[in-house]
Amino acid sequence: MKKIAALTLLIAVSAIAQEHVTVIRNATVLTITNGRIEHGSVVMRGSKIAAVGPDSSISVPAGAAVIDAAGKFVMPGIIDSHSHTAVEGAVNEGSLANTGMVRIADVMTAEEIAAYRQLAGGTTTALILHGSANSIGGQSQIAKWKWGKPVSEWPIKDAPRTIKFALGENPKSANFRPPEGVPRQYPATRMGVEEVIRTSFTDARDYLAKWDEYEAKQKRGEPAIPPRRDLLMETMADILRGRIDVHSHCYRSDEILMLLNVAHDMGFHIKTLQHVLEGYKVAKEIAAAGTGAGTFIDWWGFKAEAYDAIPYNIALMTRSGVLTSVNSDSAELARRLNQDAAKAMKYGGLTADEALKLCTINPAKELGIDTRVGSIEVGKDADVVIWTGDPLSTYSRVETTFIEGEIYFDRSRDLEQRQQLAREKADRLKKEAEETAREKKDTKGRKKNG
Amino acid sequence: MKHGSLAALVCLVLSVPANGDAPGVYAITNGVVHPVSGPEISGGVVVIRVGLIESVGAGVAIPADATTIDAKGGHVYPGLVDAQTSAGFASPAPRPRRGEATTTTTERRESAPAINPTPAFIALESLKLSDDDADDWRRIGVTTIVTAPTTDIFNGQSVVLNLGSGEPAGNAIRSPAAMQISFNPRRRSTFPDSLMGVIAYLRQTFLDAQQHSAALAVYQRNPAGLTRPESSRSLDALAPVMRRDLPIVFLADSEEMIRRAQAIAREFNLRYIISGARQGYRMAGDLRDVPVLVSVKWPAPPATKEDREEQPLRVIRDRQLAPTTPSVLAKSGVSFALVSGAGKAGDYFRGIRKAIDNGLSADEALRATTLVPARIFGVDRQLGTLERGKIANVIISDKPIFAKDAKVMRVLVDGREVRLAEKEEAETAAASPAEGTWNLTVRMPSGSVSIVVTLHVENGRVTGNFSGDRGSGDIRDGTFDDSTLEFTISVKSDAEAGDWTFHGTVRDSNITGNVTTNLGTFEFSGSKSR
Repeated sequence: MKKIAALTLLIAVSAIAQEHVTVIRNATVLTITNGRIEHGSVVMRGSKIAAVGPDSSISVPAGAAVIDAAGKFVMPGIIDSHSHTAVEGAVNEGSLANTGMVRIADVMTAEEIAAYRQLAGGTTTALILHGSANSIGGQSQIAKWKWGKPVSEWPIKDAPRTIKFALGENPKSANFRPPEGVPRQYPATRMGVEEVIRTSFTDARDYLAKWDEYEAKQKRGEPAIPPRRDLLMETMADILRGRIDVHSHCYRSDEILMLLNVAHDMGFHIKTLQHVLEGYKVAKEIAAAGTGAGTFIDWWGFKAEAYDAIPYNIALMTRSGVLTSVNSDSAELARRLNQDAAKAMKYGGLTADEALKLCTINPAKELGIDTRVGSIEVGKDADVVIWTGDPLSTYSRVETTFIEGEIYFDRSRDLEQRQQLAREKADRLKKEAEETAREKKDTKGRKKNG
Repeated sequence: MKHGSLAALVCLVLSVPANGDAPGVYAITNGVVHPVSGPEISGGVVVIRVGLIESVGAGVAIPADATTIDAKGGHVYPGLVDAQTSAGFASPAPRPRRGEATTTTTERRESAPAINPTPAFIALESLKLSDDDADDWRRIGVTTIVTAPTTDIFNGQSVVLNLGSGEPAGNAIRSPAAMQISFNPRRRSTFPDSLMGVIAYLRQTFLDAQQHSAALAVYQRNPAGLTRPESSRSLDALAPVMRRDLPIVFLADSEEMIRRAQAIAREFNLRYIISGARQGYRMAGDLRDVPVLVSVKWPAPPATKEDREEQPLRVIRDRQLAPTTPSVLAKSGVSFALVSGAGKAGDYFRGIRKAIDNGLSADEALRATTLVPARIFGVDRQLGTLERGKIANVIISDKPIFAKDAKVMRVLVDGREVRLAEKEEAETAAASPAEGTWNLTVRMPSGSVSIVVTLHVENGRVTGNFSGDRGSGDIRDGTFDDSTLEFTISVKSDAEAGDWTFHGTVRDSNITGNVTTNLGTFEFSGSKSR
């Protein structure tokens, strides 16, 4: 207990001291955007990266904590472009075909241990998405896994607003067997999915016209009743205004083209396609639309629309000029996205540098947060991970994970804590068992007396 | 439950006034008087005249027309106020089982409970509280409750109700007392069926209420030439909430839920009260500006050692720290009441005693069950202490009220003595066969999936949680009827994302059935952990 308290204090103190400086020295630094530096140093001052370069060029500031990382690798925190971790309650508001009014930000929880486990795999940032039960799902949230902090501190405050769309089997069969007395939900076909999306945006234009009319009347000094502020329509309108980025779940090439066409017709942009397992068939079109692609590296055949998936997908899309990333869609896979990135070297021959980008700067660009995260550069957030070896090797593991200059995972601390936590658990269970036994005795005694 | 012979057992140790039911004149003498408004008075006198307290003190003269109640050796208190109950509103009936096609929708609707609360729902007009139900509270010294349904999202307007005889209307101290809101997702496929949907729904409803008032105001100024706004009872009922005249009671237990409630209240500048708050110990500093009704239904450990050991430390830690919430709030100067929470009254005192075992003083517990709840609901000029002019809700116990084996001997509500039927020793209700922890295996084409569910059954309604190969969370829409168990879990992994609805038959400690998912229907089986 004491040790835990001390540890917490340490973390708390480092948070208060804004100018806390940590220097990692003598490491192989994978900057992502400026190549690899052997015998390199990274200086973290406060929440930012203050310097990066060969050891010889970096002087250690007085009072800095120095970590000797000889033989080790340092890379930026991994970014997962498709997560459902740390959502309390259902991840789908599945009752309607368009639930753009709901927000993941309202239901994030700091109690999700998977967030800590992802830190142990070097993942620091994620796009936390609504599920795929509806053609237009809820608003998603870009956040960092600041395990131990109140959940209000997890979101990246100035990150773009985002929303989840979904195509194909999930939205068309979300309520395939509705409960007794509830009619089956529209849409039930891919045609219907397209119609839902189109109609939502024509409705949004009508909605905006109503407000324009009201505001014009007000300007003329005429009495006017304010229209209803409809949170769903406000969301659709903000997509049209370019204030919300669309990230769409999809699998098949036909539906991918459909969505790109709808977006073109309606006047909005698809920021990324998610999963996009048949992306290789229409990679040129995706690239031409300026749309990114976050995909599974080697998941296939798990559902009808995944039969044409191939592990070369990501390499083929990359070579066609698509901005690509590996995503997890899973609290478990999110712990080892480095390994999925490495598989892109085996399947399709991406270079090591290209592979590393798949889980760092590329997803950062896709999410619109690349000025803050995704590479080791001066001025960026100090989200930095120390690995025992090359992160593209399955034999490497994470030693320490920093977010904004603070340690959120450290393997040696974790191992130390395990014993203390096991002891605390045993003590608490013992105490509880004794209490329960006492209470039982009391109840029995009362019954006898009464 | 009750038999004529038991009514005869209403022989009390103390003398019974000649006409117990009349709101007459009484003088309670010789007891230790705990007025709450001041220090205790040994051998004090409490004089009651026609429903109100006339005087309280040590040397108070006993009026000639008073019937004396000798409380020698006993303790005299103001009647307790349980400020969060759902008394008078049945827990929802188990919903019909899948495939029960013999009844039409209309028939089902008629047999279902009539309560479908909205913001315009007035608890006082619909509550059904029998004398037996009221006795559950009066027997432990509670003479006033605050009640409203808790099953939907907007649960209507609660009432502060005296537990006297006669119709509820005659016993209402304050109605409406508050707008009662729970973060309850609705059944699958009915908006909102998720927590985030509930929050979006609340946000939209409050916006609609603002717009409704604004639209009406514009229309009333310029009725000619404008289309009249639609009328809405629900939005009209929210107008006093938006004006901060009527507070909201948010049912919120965990720190995260409390913060969500606070965020909504801040967004719309609403006056509010938090009810539940069992993780309040974590955030006392952030509760200083909000009244809190702490539910003393403390989380209980699982029944078996194996299940307890399987739980993560933070669940165990949280369960053990929850009962420190009242003492932590007391030390931080938070205004809080202790409440029994939705459901039965029986464990109210056990819960209060647990809070006292965890650092709350008996005096603080007494204030948290008398004056503080009265203040929170704005009825402290009528209730909450033994003072001249207040409503004569008075109880007499043989020992200090929160002592383990204290017994309430006499109860006066509105100056009328309530005769308590002697309660039969409650048979320990046989646990429902569905109750407990189940290890389930779902046979899917891709292989077997293991899911552990822990179920709690109350009146056919099943609550609990799940964990295993497909994540973890609470179960929803749970029902159990004789042998048929049904519940829904939300699975997050994308390919199988969505609701999995289990429908199974329980035989002894085994269950078999089907689970319906987006991918199709699969068989599952399982057994109960020992």
